Amino acid sequence: MKRFVNCRFSPESGRCRRMTVAVLVGLLPAFAAASWPDDVQVHGFATQGYVNTSDNKFFGDTEDGSFEFTELGINLSYRATPSLLFSGQLLSRRAGEMYDGSPTVDFALVDWGLAGDEHHSYGIMLGRLKNPLGLYNDTRDVAFTRPSIFLPQEIYFDTVRNLVLSADGVQVYANAFTDAGTWSFKAGAGRNTIDKNVEINYLGFDFGGDIEPAGLAFVARTEFETNDSRWRAALSAAHAKLEFDAAPTDPIGSGEVEFLYWIASLQYSAEHWSITAEYMEEPIEFRDFGPLIDNRDSTVQGYYLQGSYLLRSDLELVARYGEGFASKHDRNGSQQSAATFGVAPPHVFYQKDFMIGLRWDVTPNFMLRAEQQWNEGTWTLSRRENPLPYLHEKDWTMFSLLASYRF
Amino acid sequence: MLAVLLLLRVPVCLADQVLIANLGVQSDGLSVNNSRLIFSMQIASWPTGESVRVFVLPDDHPTHRSFTKDLLGLFPRQLRRVWDRQLYTGTGQAPEQVESEEAMRHAVANTPGAIGYLPREMIDETVRELQIQP
Repeated sequence: MKRFVNCRFSPESGRCRRMTVAVLVGLLPAFAAASWPDDVQVHGFATQGYVNTSDNKFFGDTEDGSFEFTELGINLSYRATPSLLFSGQLLSRRAGEMYDGSPTVDFALVDWGLAGDEHHSYGIMLGRLKNPLGLYNDTRDVAFTRPSIFLPQEIYFDTVRNLVLSADGVQVYANAFTDAGTWSFKAGAGRNTIDKNVEINYLGFDFGGDIEPAGLAFVARTEFETNDSRWRAALSAAHAKLEFDAAPTDPIGSGEVEFLYWIASLQYSAEHWSITAEYMEEPIEFRDFGPLIDNRDSTVQGYYLQGSYLLRSDLELVARYGEGFASKHDRNGSQQSAATFGVAPPHVFYQKDFMIGLRWDVTPNFMLRAEQQWNEGTWTLSRRENPLPYLHEKDWTMFSLLASYRF
Repeated sequence: MLAVLLLLRVPVCLADQVLIANLGVQSDGLSVNNSRLIFSMQIASWPTGESVRVFVLPDDHPTHRSFTKDLLGLFPRQLRRVWDRQLYTGTGQAPEQVESEEAMRHAVANTPGAIGYLPREMIDETVRELQIQP
């Protein structure tokens, strides 16, 4: 435990990171092999990626090929009674310059089912809870649950993942099991976990001051799934305010960022193929920073269409087209570029991409993936990894490989 | 390649699958929806209050495939998706996996509150057969 604490205070320390990762990996087989009581379950996963981009950086120095994408998780749950579940997951995630692999508590909660039978169930959860957003947010770091190596960045931007990933607070849920299907509703309030990536994404730079959540963040999702699991539709939203406390040396004043992030999702799964579409908007408002930032109010927009086809029971082909815009009222980025006097070219304010990939389930617990993506624009790239917008290459490609094991 | 694809598309004559439970379970049958809810780990207890213990064969086992498809009307990957969603958000547990039909019969026979499935010819007096009501 002491080691984890040390790492929190020196997150850039490579030695510390390697040690903690080694500790986590070392623990996996021991956990798996241990004999646990019947109501305790231990699961985990280990994922390693390789990314090679023609230009720009995505999770490391990818122009030369990079292995700086690693996800390790270990998950423990204990069903104390049929209505009381305790669970937690420890996650180590290495993603280029953005995440260094220091272990974090992904979730740690108690789920108390207040009532449940074959017609309905409802309950309350307390602790660090994953935010139910879209189809993929709450399990976004588990490669087996993703439709591709990376989630569609137009909606699940990795640059601010921590902001929408989880919150420390409370969630209530209700499910109605009908003859047509299951209606699920979840709503929560809590404090979001903020990091440097959030500040860089919203303010454009890692300033001397600090960014903190202002008050509670709210999240809710309504979902319907037919009994044969073929159709799935969901509407979800999160609302949060962030407070920036400027340092004396900062060129901008203290201020507030407020945003609403909502996603509409629809999926159809047949035996051998599936089609998925999601649409997202995120109106953002900046207040009290001064003119440099305040006039950046915009509505972020993103959407994608994805199809998958099973070539064989263990071989899946996936293809996706997506578009995302920093402002839906300036989709070609020209006004936003002009506002920077051309320092940031228009193509840093949008992205359009097409990907095609193959997933091979070597065994039910071991999977390999290969993907190729063609991009126009660099809007989803991290400014932390690509700090100088005028150096962003407009047209770029990305090739990636991934291996993932779970138990 | 074509030959392999053709081979995989040939319908296989599968044995008929039966829902089974531990002898102590006070139930003779379940609706299809109720069975789906139990196997998707969304109902954790029997009407008597006893915990449900769900046993399954591996995703790629022919008996598992035919059970999920013919009796539950689901595909194994859909079931797996539901389990993963609950497991990796901390809101549920995965069913217990057994590696063979013999292990399935043994586990269900010896675990109070257990539910599982087997080909009809594997059923013996150590487990209770549950009817699926439409």
